[in-house]
Amino acid sequence: MDHPQLDGRIPAHDPMPDLDRTAMALLMEESRDVHRDAMSATAGALDDLVDATGPSVQEAAGRAGPAESVARREAARRRVTFGGGILAAAGVVAALDAVASSPAFAASSPDIQILQTAASIEVLAVATYTTALTLPFIGGASANPVVKAFVTTTMQQHKEHLSAFNAAVTRLGGTAQTNPDPALAKVVQAAVPGLTGPAPVVALALELEQGAAETYVADTAALSDATSRKLTASVMGVEAQHASVLLAVQALLAADAPQLIALPPDVTGLPAAAGSVGFPAAFFPTDMARPSTEGALR
Amino acid sequence: MKRRNRTTTPMAITEAELSTLTRDLDALHHDVGMPAMHEALGRWTEEIRTSRRGFLIGAGAVVGGAVLAACGTSSSSSTTTSTGGGARSTGAKLTGDLAVAALAASLENLAVAAYGDVLTAAAAGKLGTVPPAVATFVTTVKGQHAQHAQAWNSAIVAAGHAAVTGPDQALVPTVDTAFAKVTDVTGAAKLALTLEDIAAATYQSAVAAVTASSSVKVAASIQPVEMQHAAILNFVLGQYPVPNAFSPLTGARTPADYRG
Repeated sequence: MDHPQLDGRIPAHDPMPDLDRTAMALLMEESRDVHRDAMSATAGALDDLVDATGPSVQEAAGRAGPAESVARREAARRRVTFGGGILAAAGVVAALDAVASSPAFAASSPDIQILQTAASIEVLAVATYTTALTLPFIGGASANPVVKAFVTTTMQQHKEHLSAFNAAVTRLGGTAQTNPDPALAKVVQAAVPGLTGPAPVVALALELEQGAAETYVADTAALSDATSRKLTASVMGVEAQHASVLLAVQALLAADAPQLIALPPDVTGLPAAAGSVGFPAAFFPTDMARPSTEGALR
Repeated sequence: MKRRNRTTTPMAITEAELSTLTRDLDALHHDVGMPAMHEALGRWTEEIRTSRRGFLIGAGAVVGGAVLAACGTSSSSSTTTSTGGGARSTGAKLTGDLAVAALAASLENLAVAAYGDVLTAAAAGKLGTVPPAVATFVTTVKGQHAQHAQAWNSAIVAAGHAAVTGPDQALVPTVDTAFAKVTDVTGAAKLALTLEDIAAATYQSAVAAVTASSSVKVAASIQPVEMQHAAILNFVLGQYPVPNAFSPLTGARTPADYRG
């Protein structure tokens, strides 16, 4: 995968030539450490939640026969795990709100707030895709291999976006954001009960990707720091591509043609309308852009 | 989080229903995407009208229909056909954001011409069997590039210059040479991908190059769409559709590259 080097080396085709890559690499390493800590904390909270909800899951599974019981227990565990990730994240946000009200957290500059919100969107995207991969029809044996590869790669790309946004935050003197966007977390939480197959997962991912892309399109004009603007501009199109792929996958699932979700595709078998479903607008909209302060630390 | 007034009719099994969704998405584009872009564009052109400093006065590279017409005859391919209309040509160099607008319009014109050539070649049976989805792709993308060109030209015209109606002349020979070798859909898709990558990189570069917030918004509203075109082309070519975590600037054109 071709992306900006994270070790300070300048790639052959530098997307951000004005960047001090040595300093950027150090910042990103720090950011990765923060990110690892945050993910570790979320995973721990997630495990606690799964344990706490265990009896109800087991009770539900106990009404089935032995074989079915195992399958249902596993399915229920996965559903709880997925929802739990979001709930755990929401808990972290609540704690964060309390911390943010402390006098130690002064209001940041608009650029920092925009970048922290961007980071918060990426945190949620990483968490959502990570947990989606635990679902059997996304990351398990019954998953479409192309969908599984897409989710895996997209999750990794969002991790890189998160690191980059937080590096930009710290470069401007702000505090890295390691918690999810609170409003979007509620959207994900509300969607959790319906995540019983690939289609609703794709719909949820699409909503997140479209929201992220629109946010970054809006941010690009709002940011005053040139380097941050370049960074955001280099991410917005990638999120739009994620949305494009998801639109195509969504269409093929809805058309009951999952066999056409393949790489390379059977182009001759694709319906005509599939040729334009991935780019519905000539100009990318921004009406679903998140408020610039929504995920900012206060 | 749900878009207001958005009809989220799910795709059904039939082609007709797929087409219905496409029309729905097209309506969404007109309801949502276009107003947002037009607002930015309107603000930009208003800025141009009310404050022409840095936009209108200059000398050097001439942008105007008459000059474009003169430049647009370097090859026999229809891609190079320039249809400049010089009634509003001022002969003045476009500087600042307008120079970027002229470059962008010329790139969009090149894309429109290239996709038009593909459709012509397909109709003539020169590309072999063209799958229906590919035909839809080419037709739709060609239309979107035409809208992009129109958007940039509305700012140029508002500034008192003639619209840029010809293709990027610096790229025309390369595109002509490449297109002459295209014998099938795969070859056409590869050429189209190259153009989309260049356009996306150029807009990404433009976001940092332009100064007015409204022109940043216009460039930013187009770059992701070019990236989406590229994603679908990668998919059609059997390549991973989102190959980069950060979109590259490889091949980005700058106003200094612009030759009318």
